[in-house]
Amino acid sequence: MTTVTVNGVRREIQAPTDTPLLYVLRNDLELTGPQFGCGLAQCGACSVLLNGKEVRSCIMTLGSAAGKEVTTLEGLPARWAKQKGLPDEEAAKTLHPVQEAWIEEQTPLCGFCQNGMMIKATELLERVSSPTVTEIKDAFTSGVSPHLCRCGSYTAIIQAVQRAGAAMAKRSQA
Amino acid sequence: MSDRTKVLGAALSRRGFVKTGGVLLAGFALPKVEGQQKPGLVDALNPGRPESWIEIHADNTILIRTGRSDFGQGTIFTAYRQIVAEELSARFEAIATVVSGDTDRTPDGGGTFDLLSHGMPNVRKAGAYVYQALLSLASDRLGVPKDQLTVEDGVVSGGGRSVSYGDLVKNQTLNLTIPVKGDISSMFGLTVEGDPPLKPVSQYTVVGKSFPNSVTVSKVTAKETWVTDVRLPGMLHARMVHPRTLGSKLISVGALDKNRFPNSQVVVKGNLVGVVAPTEWEAIKAAQQVASATTWSDWKGLPGDQRLFQFLKEDADWKKAPVATARTNRGDVPSAIAASSKKLSATYQLPFLKHAPIGPTMAVADVRSDGAVYVYTHTQNPQALRSGIALMLATPVDHVVVRTFAGAGHYGRSNGGNAGAEDEAVILSQALGKPVRVQWTRQDDLQWSTQSSAAISEVELGVDAKGALTAYKINHFMPAMQDDRLVGAILAGLPTIPAPNEIGSLFGIANSMHDPWVYEATPAVLESSFGTMQIGQSSSPLNVGLRDHSLRTPGQYQQNFPREVAITEAAVLAGVDPLQFRIQHAREKRVIGVLESVRQNSGWETRTHRPGAGEGVSRGQGVSVMFRSGTYWACVAQIAVNMTSGAIKVEKITVAVDPGIVINPAQLKRQVEGGAVMGVSIALLEELRFDESGVTSADWRSYPIATMADLPEIKVVLINRPEVGSYGQGSEAANALAAPAIAGALLDATGKVARRLPMKPDYVQSLLRA
Ligand code: FES
Ligand code: FES
Repeated sequence: MTTVTVNGVRREIQAPTDTPLLYVLRNDLELTGPQFGCGLAQCGACSVLLNGKEVRSCIMTLGSAAGKEVTTLEGLPARWAKQKGLPDEEAAKTLHPVQEAWIEEQTPLCGFCQNGMMIKATELLERVSSPTVTEIKDAFTSGVSPHLCRCGSYTAIIQAVQRAGAAMAKRSQA
Repeated sequence: MSDRTKVLGAALSRRGFVKTGGVLLAGFALPKVEGQQKPGLVDALNPGRPESWIEIHADNTILIRTGRSDFGQGTIFTAYRQIVAEELSARFEAIATVVSGDTDRTPDGGGTFDLLSHGMPNVRKAGAYVYQALLSLASDRLGVPKDQLTVEDGVVSGGGRSVSYGDLVKNQTLNLTIPVKGDISSMFGLTVEGDPPLKPVSQYTVVGKSFPNSVTVSKVTAKETWVTDVRLPGMLHARMVHPRTLGSKLISVGALDKNRFPNSQVVVKGNLVGVVAPTEWEAIKAAQQVASATTWSDWKGLPGDQRLFQFLKEDADWKKAPVATARTNRGDVPSAIAASSKKLSATYQLPFLKHAPIGPTMAVADVRSDGAVYVYTHTQNPQALRSGIALMLATPVDHVVVRTFAGAGHYGRSNGGNAGAEDEAVILSQALGKPVRVQWTRQDDLQWSTQSSAAISEVELGVDAKGALTAYKINHFMPAMQDDRLVGAILAGLPTIPAPNEIGSLFGIANSMHDPWVYEATPAVLESSFGTMQIGQSSSPLNVGLRDHSLRTPGQYQQNFPREVAITEAAVLAGVDPLQFRIQHAREKRVIGVLESVRQNSGWETRTHRPGAGEGVSRGQGVSVMFRSGTYWACVAQIAVNMTSGAIKVEKITVAVDPGIVINPAQLKRQVEGGAVMGVSIALLEELRFDESGVTSADWRSYPIATMADLPEIKVVLINRPEVGSYGQGSEAANALAAPAIAGALLDATGKVARRLPMKPDYVQSLLRA
């Protein structure tokens, strides 16, 4: 039995500890935001936040996530609500500014890669509030591998990150 | 109304009255086909059923159904709805439901390709028929002749009174039967017949607006049910153990280690080997263990990527298939070239490419004990897949249901039905009597899927002393590019359609003229296309080899690259600015229009070719043009070349697109941006690696694609021409435009011409040193 906090809830998980976290999330916990893209830490489709850092759940074993905090795409609204201290009923209606920006910019094409893109954007914007285009490109291409989008939505991603950053900065001042 | 009224070619009838609700149902009058009207084993939607296309409900909502599935461009959820709303003079939001892509819930079949020009007339006409039917009903109700009625936002007015669509259908069930022709399970599906009056473009209020894609919210909030999320009770997870080469037969299956994998099972059928387990992780590990102990026969029957172009030139047989020639051919090319003051003779080479979806292909199948077969997948052509599965199982088509879900875009790979894993899932499910989910690995997806065909083209052209193109000749050579066979069926030795062969056109080996000629001022033109068998297929004991399939802008990409690079070379010979040279040779004002647009919007410097710079970084500009499916395109690329390393950095891409009527500007812009990125990727990075036995590209390192670091500034200019009266295709072409424009920019920057893709640093370096 492995204990992991997922989207703010403590979960006891039966699966063998060498199971990649991705399959635990998708099959055991039915959190299907993260996608299987390569299983090789080469694309970012499976990304989640582990203690606030973007990691590839396809190569991270359940055992190594034990006792840590995992946030998936499903958990972004609550993460934002908690950071902002929003009351419950407002939190229930709130999306993460990154998700809102993704909708406003109509960023996804097929959308399959966008889980990882939004997770990476969240990680970046929690660190740098209004990143430059260079900083955004750097964030999405450094680390274990670049975040890949075969549909080529990179322009829309950059525009959405900047929009989300502006929205987050505004709400921090408010 | 009387109980049966003719509305142009369609028939409107009242089936009865109801206490609550009420609906107008638009369906099809099917051509009579033997046996087709019998109810199937599973509840496959009979296309003759009235509720099959458009429904107008008493609460003023509208439902539309289409057999075509959305493929990541959002067209089904934006442009399709806009077209129907427009023809109905209803609000976009009134179309509350779009049902797409499930063979038991949608009527018309056909694939997601060329959606706007082939798929769109169907919905547009169906909408127009329904509109006429509603006008007839309103005319009866208001006692005002049809031609004196006006409609706004689903409310009909006339004679001082108004009635909403919902009120017109309230408390009754009405059927509208629309005439169609065609075969639902063929590649192209059904086509609506007749010519109902279409709404004049000048009165459009819905088309032309940037409505958001309605599925974006569910995808961004993790609420969408992707095909990857489909889980059925009792479902087993599977991984395949594919043959070691593209021609290997099974010698012996590795024994499963039952101590380590107590819940796993191995399924073998012919050369098809799959490993299943109740949990995904056990299936993965067990499949790896079985694979390592399984033995296969050896096979070497491919030229290998190093010898690819030599093979295409010297070894491939181009005489088997009929030669296609362009309708625009004219003049006496040999004499015109002989008389030219300057001549060019050159060969252009394009490697195999992969569709390379970000998610490897996967499917869930459930073959039930009563013989019903359910397939859950992400396909561009559910009806064609349905008939392929029925053929494989030797079962009637109406025993098979294909349900379509959102998935990773794969850009044409499944436009003939299958993406790869569906048939394997069916075979495993049938063998085990349980639902099975087959997930291909990244390696499976690169090595066992189809590829976009490699090609070579030979050009000869002449330029006169005044700088005009006197003659142009091109011979295109490309192996067959539409292999829709089910690879699992091939491996298992089950029936599937024939491999592309000498017979037939669409599924034959003949090549076509895919790239319409746009330089009409040229006095002598001779364009021809030659086809051949897929490489290695007939010598493979499995009959597999390198299977090919159309990829975004299929065939035309392979023909447009050589043409556009050659035209830039001709401009250099002529001593004329390459963009101006194109304008001088065009006659169609829409070709000239897109060229002038990119000239203005890109910061193009009009100049003749300048000799290449020597050291450091050299910058250049290049241009390309294409006409595809009713749409005119031009592209300018501005690049920087590192003269030492040979690395190209694309700094800016400008694309002008004139599709006639722009349906949804914001969505079209996003599609074109995405296409442009794929174009940069194809130009600079992509090339299938293979040896004599099979594909050696196995992951994103051995098949790299563009990352955000490769992203240029992208400027998209939309040219709306309502007067054209039709919608051209917008989601293809952009991916093909960048490469010839970048090659033109390389020539401008360095004086060296790249006649082969990809323009990787070592290749560019070799050009610079030559
Ligand atoms: S699926 Fe994990 S990085 Fe690709
Ligand atoms: S949106 Fe399709 S892979 Fe990124």
